[in-house]
Amino acid sequence: MRMDTVIIGGGLSGLACGISLAKRGKRVTIVASGQSTMLFNGGSMEMLGYVDGKAVENPLEAIASLPESHPYSKIGADRIASLAERVKLLFSDSGIDMTGSANANHWRITPMGIAKPAWLTLSDHLRIDDINRLPARRLALMCIRGYFDQPNAMLAQGLRDLGFEVEMIEFTTDDITALRRSPSEMRATSLAKRLVSNSALQRVADQFNSLASDADMVLMPSVFGQTDSSDFQMLQSMTNKPLRLVATLPPSVAGMRMMTQLRHYFKMLGGTYLTGDTAVSGTFDGDRLTSITTAKLSDMPLMADNFVLASGSFISRGLRADYERVYEPVLGVDIDADADREQWTRFGVLNAQSYFGYGVATDDQLRCLKQGKPIQNLRAIGSVLSGHDAVKMGDGTGVSLLTAIAAADHIRENK
Amino acid sequence: MAERMQICNLSEHNFEQCTKCSICTTVCPVAAVTTDYPGPKQAGPDGERYRLKDPAYFDKALKLCLNCKRCEVACPSGVHIADIIQHARMRATEGHRATLRDTMLANTDLLGTMANLVAPMANATLGLKPTKLLMDSVMAIDKHRTFPAYSRQKFTTWYKRHAAKQQDAFAHHVSYFHGCYVNYNFPKLGQDLVKLLNAVGYGVHLLDKEQCCGVALIANGLYKQAKRQARTNIDNIRTSVNRDQRVVLTTSSSCTFNMRDEYPSMLGIDNADVRDSISLATRFIYRLVDEEKIKLVFKQDYKRRLAYHTACHMQRMGWQLYSIELLRMIPGLDLVELEQNCCGISGTYGFKKENYERSQAIGSVLFKDIEKAGVEAVTTDCETCKWQIEMSTGLPVENPISVLADALDVEATRKANGI
Repeated sequence: MRMDTVIIGGGLSGLACGISLAKRGKRVTIVASGQSTMLFNGGSMEMLGYVDGKAVENPLEAIASLPESHPYSKIGADRIASLAERVKLLFSDSGIDMTGSANANHWRITPMGIAKPAWLTLSDHLRIDDINRLPARRLALMCIRGYFDQPNAMLAQGLRDLGFEVEMIEFTTDDITALRRSPSEMRATSLAKRLVSNSALQRVADQFNSLASDADMVLMPSVFGQTDSSDFQMLQSMTNKPLRLVATLPPSVAGMRMMTQLRHYFKMLGGTYLTGDTAVSGTFDGDRLTSITTAKLSDMPLMADNFVLASGSFISRGLRADYERVYEPVLGVDIDADADREQWTRFGVLNAQSYFGYGVATDDQLRCLKQGKPIQNLRAIGSVLSGHDAVKMGDGTGVSLLTAIAAADHIRENK
Repeated sequence: MAERMQICNLSEHNFEQCTKCSICTTVCPVAAVTTDYPGPKQAGPDGERYRLKDPAYFDKALKLCLNCKRCEVACPSGVHIADIIQHARMRATEGHRATLRDTMLANTDLLGTMANLVAPMANATLGLKPTKLLMDSVMAIDKHRTFPAYSRQKFTTWYKRHAAKQQDAFAHHVSYFHGCYVNYNFPKLGQDLVKLLNAVGYGVHLLDKEQCCGVALIANGLYKQAKRQARTNIDNIRTSVNRDQRVVLTTSSSCTFNMRDEYPSMLGIDNADVRDSISLATRFIYRLVDEEKIKLVFKQDYKRRLAYHTACHMQRMGWQLYSIELLRMIPGLDLVELEQNCCGISGTYGFKKENYERSQAIGSVLFKDIEKAGVEAVTTDCETCKWQIEMSTGLPVENPISVLADALDVEATRKANGI
């Protein structure tokens, strides 16, 4: 089978790249092995959160000071602003309603109640633009009885530390109580499946209206809207206070919804999405990749003019490590990593770890290197790339999105 | 030493690879509609830890699993969650006798043989309200269900009378595992395949012997019988591949998945030497077109709008691409690819009275999607999906092979292939 572009990896980065190409009429196939780490995403995208441990106010400005090895530097700091605008467009085209600005970070609230810098946040989620001007004074933090994926006391404390007055209010409805039959499976996503009908939402709104009468704003775990934001809008229209969602522990409803919307848009543009299949190997001809083979289409290599490696980091198995080395398992491309295993980790699991920055080595056009030489038609994007640190720099989703669109541009330019 | 450590890390069904992320539960169609089922993570890897300690921890709720395998498709860690659940069920029901109802539903070929003999009578009787009520109360087969109509003439009878003689004249040859549905209920699908393959220069042959693939036997706990039939099938497939040099084609995604993947994983039948030679016909034909070995020419005036539904086992095999790409070759066909949702029937599951409501609730997402698509018919590679979608949406459902055969300009295709 012959395509214009084959993308290995169906997460945020792979889909963003696939959409950019498919929108220009290219035939694109995405090979996606299982669901992606977007199911751990709390409803925000971050471009650059921290430099040297300090929160970044203006990501666009701060990007200029990043080392050459950072993916943003490879894209070119001067191009980031225009790419960022295209990311926003990509979301709105997919029906994802996000707000934020690339030259002024806002704050998102983690499930543990910590404020972290963010670039874009879903408009139905709580965000704080200016820590000195909170969007509300008195918050009613609605706590679902029997739901363990929201550490309420920690969340409330975090919000109080930011200056909110917080009242924790426990509530339940019949629909929610029914889920307690399997207490360990009472997760955000299972709640979202229950809370869809107008009557189920009305029962929730009734609780809010009677219990949260003193609050300026009602805060609720993000357990609404698996496929779009209509459930939330319905609930808001039934509630007589402004309503905002706050991220839960995974699996995340917001992440699932964004993935569904992106995938849907990609397919609408004519893209092919191979669910639950895994790229296993590639065939090279000199400095070009000619085809890849997947586990399920084992006897039909996927041929293409261009390939994109968007297979994610260690957790997504885009990178692997054994007792001797760090490697990229599908195509065996070069890796930036310390050869000495002693250097991979440092004492203290919460400290910055060297392996966070490991990944696929690329040139300034994001082309993968193999034995030191660039493969002309193979680009790497997203978390599989070396030189960034999603945990300590808060640049994970930004790298995924911006490198995806930059790579799509490179592919278009070098026919 | 390093290599040894890695080997020790492998576990049956990749059980140890589960990271408890719960992603499987987010896609489970059963957990989405009932709290009686705790979902695949709990029923699979979590519960297995207890069951390893003591089999008494077996939870009856595991019977609610559809075995649709969507959990396995979604798992980012490659855990064979549904296999863990199926094996636990198998261990728990060892030595139990299946009920009459389950035995009857599972023996699709026995039932078919009997019904074919008296097809008009069987169809009329099975469709009657009193019969349905009787089956509902006595057999616990839900009264809303209509048994698929039985054909007067079996596919094999038609084949022997009208097709067998011509097949040797072709330059290339394949075998066809028709399955119970084509043989007893809907011979037209088999006839469509013969028409299509003959037009591109391939002769179609039957296996020396074929038995029901046994997918319903496994689902209903009749493992011994399933094993016997699986052995017969694999022996005959082997003969076709080795003696006759013919690959074996199918037109049912579930038969295919069962013979390729469930035979070794569920029944312990080794099929490694012939597994690659068992293929869905759409995959085989797509590959021939892709490699420019054959050409398909379609009717100029053909015009239809259809929706493609990816059956669960099709998704598990990852082969929907072949059917979709093949259908997209038809110029006059406007094809809508539906979101991948379970229809809820899962073979014999939805026929059982205790599952009827759940089955329809599971399918409701798909039915709404179909309604929104504004199509004249649906196309899918699975026959039980067909019954469910036809009953629940009122739209006709066709196998992609039938759609292709219908759209094909036979004369022009024969000419293009030099026949």
